[in-house]
Amino acid sequence: MTATKKHLNYSFYPGCSLHASGREYDISTRAAFKALNVGLKEVPNWFCCGATPAHNVDELLSLSLCAKNLAMAEEVEGDLAVACAACFSRLKVTQHHLKADDNKRKQVEIAIDGPAALGKPVKHILEILARDLGLARLEESVTKPLMGLKVASYYGCLLTRPPGVPELDDAEDPSIMEDILRALGAEPVKWSHRMECCGANFTLSRPGVVLKLSGAILESAQLAGADCIMVACPLCHSNLDVRQASIEDKSRTDYDTPIFYITQLVALALGVSGTKLGFESVIVDPRPLLTKKQLL
Amino acid sequence: MSRIGVFVCHCGENISRTVDVEQVAKAAGEIPGVAFSCDYKYMCSDPGQNLLKKAVAEQNLDGVVVAACSPRMHEKTFRKAAQAAGLNPYLCDMANIREHCSWVHEDKKLGTVKASDIVKLMVERVKKGKSLAPITVPVTKKALVIGGGIAGIQAALDIADAGHQVLLVEREPSIGGHMAQLSETFPTLDCSQCIMTPKMVDVANHPNITLYTFAEVEKVEGYIGNFSVTVRRKARSVDEDKCTGCGICMTKCPKKKIPNDFDQGHGMRTAIYVPFPQAVPNTPVIDRENCTMFQSGKCGVCAKVCGPGAVDFKQEDRITVEAVGAVVVATGFKLYSIDRKPEGSPIQGYGEFGYGTLPDVIDGMTFERLASASGPTGGKILRPSDGREPKQVVFIQCVGSRAREKGISYCSKVCCMYTAKHTMLYHHKVHDGQAYVFFMDARTPGKGYDEFWRRAVEEEEAVYIRGMVSRMYQKGDKIVVMGSDTLVGVQVEIEADLVVLATAVQAQDGADLLAQKLGISYDKYNFYSEAHAKLKPVECATAGIYLAGACQGPKDIPDTVSQASAAAAKVMTLFSKDQLERDPVVAKVNEKYCVGCLACKKVCAYGAVEEKEIRDRQGNLVKVVAYVNPGVCGGCGTCQATCPSKSVELDGYTDEQIMAMIEAL
Repeated sequence: MTATKKHLNYSFYPGCSLHASGREYDISTRAAFKALNVGLKEVPNWFCCGATPAHNVDELLSLSLCAKNLAMAEEVEGDLAVACAACFSRLKVTQHHLKADDNKRKQVEIAIDGPAALGKPVKHILEILARDLGLARLEESVTKPLMGLKVASYYGCLLTRPPGVPELDDAEDPSIMEDILRALGAEPVKWSHRMECCGANFTLSRPGVVLKLSGAILESAQLAGADCIMVACPLCHSNLDVRQASIEDKSRTDYDTPIFYITQLVALALGVSGTKLGFESVIVDPRPLLTKKQLL
Repeated sequence: MSRIGVFVCHCGENISRTVDVEQVAKAAGEIPGVAFSCDYKYMCSDPGQNLLKKAVAEQNLDGVVVAACSPRMHEKTFRKAAQAAGLNPYLCDMANIREHCSWVHEDKKLGTVKASDIVKLMVERVKKGKSLAPITVPVTKKALVIGGGIAGIQAALDIADAGHQVLLVEREPSIGGHMAQLSETFPTLDCSQCIMTPKMVDVANHPNITLYTFAEVEKVEGYIGNFSVTVRRKARSVDEDKCTGCGICMTKCPKKKIPNDFDQGHGMRTAIYVPFPQAVPNTPVIDRENCTMFQSGKCGVCAKVCGPGAVDFKQEDRITVEAVGAVVVATGFKLYSIDRKPEGSPIQGYGEFGYGTLPDVIDGMTFERLASASGPTGGKILRPSDGREPKQVVFIQCVGSRAREKGISYCSKVCCMYTAKHTMLYHHKVHDGQAYVFFMDARTPGKGYDEFWRRAVEEEEAVYIRGMVSRMYQKGDKIVVMGSDTLVGVQVEIEADLVVLATAVQAQDGADLLAQKLGISYDKYNFYSEAHAKLKPVECATAGIYLAGACQGPKDIPDTVSQASAAAAKVMTLFSKDQLERDPVVAKVNEKYCVGCLACKKVCAYGAVEEKEIRDRQGNLVKVVAYVNPGVCGGCGTCQATCPSKSVELDGYTDEQIMAMIEAL
């Protein structure tokens, strides 16, 4: 007899990137959740979390933007699912700061004209897949195991740091992505640069920095024998994917390493058609690799 | 009518700033039974004490209250003065109007009222007080020293040289501790074993020292001068009396590939072994978990080759109970490990350094073993992964220390110096190699220490980079170390062959459990607490127990040896008397009213309450009552508060005295 499987339902904060440059992340998240029969309801009228610029300029503004979004999310049933690593980080950091500092919380509550939703659980989709749903159930749901696909799972800066804030996994040596990959039947490679910075926002102001840092990540993944890199952040994706040609030019190396969103691989393994996951809209085309591995 | 004298102290301005001392003295003078009162700037000074003595004599006082600081500070001073004037010292009490009043209040008016009230209470207590005589207890002139590292060895030798018996108990099969593992020592680079082993031999040969190695203290009972300690001598499986230390058993043992802890797991030993060739005693131990005979019942080669027949597979643990008068705790330290810590541990590991999974990232003690002539590589610096000589070595200081985010905020004190030493040892052995050191700052307080560090930098070509390391990872056969140079303001990446971490000094495993057995206090890092940070650095708050070495906090060898000798001196002071005087503030049982419920025995934290049988002349049991052993009683008064028939009372704090104090308010 199988245990009763409770139906999971989440409110969803996509964030700006998922409606723009990271559209594939949005499409594939919804596809994966649908395939898993997990409910996902977008928070109405959500707006930008403030991302990096807000907290660099004005802490109160940054905290208030997130607090207001959290307050609106409170209106939708279910824990708040977040896909973007930066939105996740900002929402978690806001809750952390406001819980720790009553004065700040009061200021923010004046700014947003209402209570800050400090109790609303904010969850990254990695947590939802690996813990709420569970690796066993995820593995059971796989219809097309990603056999033979060697994946370098890339965490970047924000998913696990600073220690004690996101509470997603060990801050410096996490394993949640690898665990999910194994459940999908893929082969996570052991590599050195899973926690390094891709260069993030410098992609616009000082692209040289990104070429160097993202270049090191691509090089390290290639040395480890990875076919592709898996990310959970639209900005990391953009730097590794969009800048890959410039990095190749600069380093005179041919990487040709497709960059996947975690949900693209999840959806693919769950049997969602490869034509519906936005593979056509990225720069480094993953389809030749997937065809070679007989996964399309 | 009593004739009490009240002396109100200004304590410079400490009290008089927020308490009108003249007013307090005046008010005290009006309390019935007070025959004399005055105020003075410093009561504890010579003129102050003379004032007290003179008043006792001239005014014919039968009790004294000094309104000043805490009794912890000066009770002894004033009781001595009162005694000199011919008063029983226990009829002199202090009213604490400093810690309990002036230091914690701002309003002078209210402060003065409160100070007067405190004085009033103490006057009432002294009025009902009784003359008490100090209790004398005998002193067993034998010391227990726990831990046979350099601290324990030094303390044991000093006490033994003074002519007293010493019992030295060491957990490992040999004495020597960490110092025996070191290659050379700062700041003189003399060989650690060369200066250590003669002392180890002295311990073994000293007629006044009984040495129990491979043994642990199981239980400690009693009190200063009269401890009873239970020691478990673990089964060595080798008879110490028969063994000649020839070592043939070790050469014939077929189990040869067991990582030796003494070499930080990098050297190999047999199942029957001594940790290192200079071990004291030179009697091997069988490691039963790894011995074929113990695991499968077949083998016994060591027993067959042993000429004197010393191998004894059936030997059992022996329990020894010894009477000692003093205890020196010298249990030393362990090194922090960067490994992943168990869930919930307040101390964190270093995920950014790979949680100890990179084979060529070692700690300072492992480097000592690599550099030591008696180590696993015979003194050649060879890296663990492939045995190659490393050409680029990165040393990192403050790993775990001064890292609040990792759970340890203190400085480990020895790392700056030993890292400087490591760079020199490396430079002496690998001439074409380069040493890099990441450091926060170089802390070199000590004689000849800064000169030593400068020598590492200026003459021995170590490159010091001021900044921390954020990450390291394996790249091919190199370890990429990513850090920052905060003086230049750049990020640094070094491809190293070997990385040496100066990891934090931590209290020994089980330090807390031993402290609980001994009844001594320890801090949140499990380092033992001294009675006073400045003035009682080697005494515990528990009388008769002393501290030596790194069990009290990180320490280098000179400091450890000094502290060990200081602890030994304290023990000798204690042993200089045949009888010991104790404060007579102890509980007494009124046997007439005691119903023998022994509720007091259950609550006594000192284990001072015993059962006493009362018999008639024919020897028939009349009743069982409680008896308080005055030598053990700590004078806390818990029994008095618990006793349902009000038949136990603490001298100096009787119910009558306490009630009088309450009524005075």
